[in-house]
Amino acid sequence: MLKIITCFKWVLDESDIKVAANGRDLILDRVGYKISDYDRNAIEEAVRLQEQYGGKVTAVTVGPPNARLSLKDALSRGPEEGLFIHDSAFKDLEPAQTAAVLAAAIESQGSYDLIICGEGSSDLYAQQVGPRLAEKLGLPAVTYVNKLSLEGNQLIAERRLEDGIEVVAVPLPALVTVLPEINTPRLPGLKQVLAAAKKPVISLTKSELSLDFAPSLQTIGIQAAATDRRRLKFGPEAEEIQKVVEALIREGVVS
Amino acid sequence: MAGIWVLAENFEHTLELLNIGQQLAAQLGTRLVALTNREKAKATELIAYGADEVLLLPVLPDDQPWEAWVSTLAEEARQADPDVILIGGTSRGQDLAARLAARLNTGLCSGCTSLKLDQENRLIMERLVYGGLAIQTVVCPTRPQMATIPPHTYTPVEPQPGREGVIRELTTFTPSPVKVLSRRPIDRKSADLSEARVIVCVGRGLEKPEDLSLARELAEVLGGELGCTRPLAEDLGWMPADSYIGISGQRVKPDLYIGLGVSGQIHHLSGIRDSRIVCAINNDENAPIFEAADYGIVGDLKTVVPEMINILRKVGQK
Ligand SMILES: Cc1cc2nc3c(=O)[nH]c(=O)nc-3n(C[C@H](O)[C@H](O)[C@H](O)COP(=O)(O)OP(=O)(O)OC[C@H]3O[C@@H](n4cnc5c(N)ncnc54)[C@H](O)[C@@H]3O)c2cc1C
Repeated sequence: MLKIITCFKWVLDESDIKVAANGRDLILDRVGYKISDYDRNAIEEAVRLQEQYGGKVTAVTVGPPNARLSLKDALSRGPEEGLFIHDSAFKDLEPAQTAAVLAAAIESQGSYDLIICGEGSSDLYAQQVGPRLAEKLGLPAVTYVNKLSLEGNQLIAERRLEDGIEVVAVPLPALVTVLPEINTPRLPGLKQVLAAAKKPVISLTKSELSLDFAPSLQTIGIQAAATDRRRLKFGPEAEEIQKVVEALIREGVVS
Repeated sequence: MAGIWVLAENFEHTLELLNIGQQLAAQLGTRLVALTNREKAKATELIAYGADEVLLLPVLPDDQPWEAWVSTLAEEARQADPDVILIGGTSRGQDLAARLAARLNTGLCSGCTSLKLDQENRLIMERLVYGGLAIQTVVCPTRPQMATIPPHTYTPVEPQPGREGVIRELTTFTPSPVKVLSRRPIDRKSADLSEARVIVCVGRGLEKPEDLSLARELAEVLGGELGCTRPLAEDLGWMPADSYIGISGQRVKPDLYIGLGVSGQIHHLSGIRDSRIVCAINNDENAPIFEAADYGIVGDLKTVVPEMINILRKVGQK
């Protein structure tokens, strides 16, 4: 039976973030959380493969205890089972730490055939957890995949890279990171949401895993990216447009 | 041993990394090492461009992915013990860097947009987060300190006459279980926007694909290129997939960006941040793009754009 693990991150919704009046600080106290956009594609691809080839899908996340909310959302998208690795120390992990925790937890759960991650997370977008996790688990990895199929014990994957498409074959077990264009994630209906509440979730804490946990990247600051713009507004009338064109000529960007 | 390593997928990008690499090497008083798969002639050229040493990576069989070099690099890094490794932030570079960092048990700043040394010779590295809304500043407490640097972050270094350096060949690599079956170029239907001086960018404010001709006409009058927001390429398919601008698309830095019916969501804005002048035409006076624009015109693009073309033509005739 094909055993697929799909990893997802519960992230704050960046469209809820406001910038404080000083133009530097971020206001985070009213933000909502969501499953990282790219991870929705990862979950969808796992479920799509399971529907096509049979098997079982487990959705895994690492986070602080309040990330538990994410599991119902994830499971409503089709996976049969959840794996929730939580600890208050698992807040704001850097990618190497996330990969280390995921590797330890996944290894503790026995065998698997395929791990699917998003190419990056929509909050930090470091694009490291997939490849680092593969290294930790000693798996071959195929990143930036926009098409995936299975031929016997081999995955055939199409990677979209800057200079073209690369089609590769890789034996299972393997890890794949997917691009958003690989699929369109389904929207769970009421029925799926209700069913999700009944699906099993395995819970693991830090003390149950043997972990090397020192960060190899430290954040020393996060600030709003400054945009110094003039913010001048004009009307739609011809005279107004004329003013804008004249200004663009003065700026030397139109000749 | 120590040193600054640079590695990128193509020659131009390597020269960009040599630029920042050279500054760091000078400040740290260490050697600048370029890694490349190029033939020896190119290696000699890299020395002229500032490398003290060039490491020639083993030639890979056709069925091996670029990332197969990770074993070669990890082995060499363990012996040479570089202070800093800078890798070109393309998809392949990103993948290779993350794996190398995992093997060396060290930290990696992905998509690094700025880096400098502090008084303790730590690299202070910046990168964009939250869809481009914020800048995260990181340091790497482990060694080597690693970063991936997107194309066009630095200008290519200038060659210096009379330089000398060493060329060394690395020969061993562990083949990857991943086998490349085929490679094909993406048919680029759109222009490379990264070098465009003027960009007209269309958004969902366009009602139908036919309205694109209006935008094209404006781009033509301005001598610019046409780009778009993600929904126009990915959801509507009115524009080629690689012509959208933003955090997950192209990053642009024209003298003039004009957005037509673009709302100005952060994911898009982070791709136009380096534009010199931003102009926006949108019929919703509360559209966020006006906060990120120098010149905003509140109005219907279907009347404003033809009028603007008119005026530009008149000006051009004078
Ligand atoms: C993880 C993630 C990554 C993303 N990456 C990118 C990215 O790289 N690039 C990108 O572009 N998007 C990206 N997006 C999508 C982004 O969030 C926005 O949805 C998108 O940029 C909006 O495109 P738009 O402005 O064309 O459309 P809309 O937001 O629908 O805006 C249309 C605008 O047109 C105006 N309008 C309508 N009719 C007219 C008219 N007749 N005249 C003038 N104005 C009119 C409206 O007032 C509105 O402001 C990403 C999203 C996510 C979640």
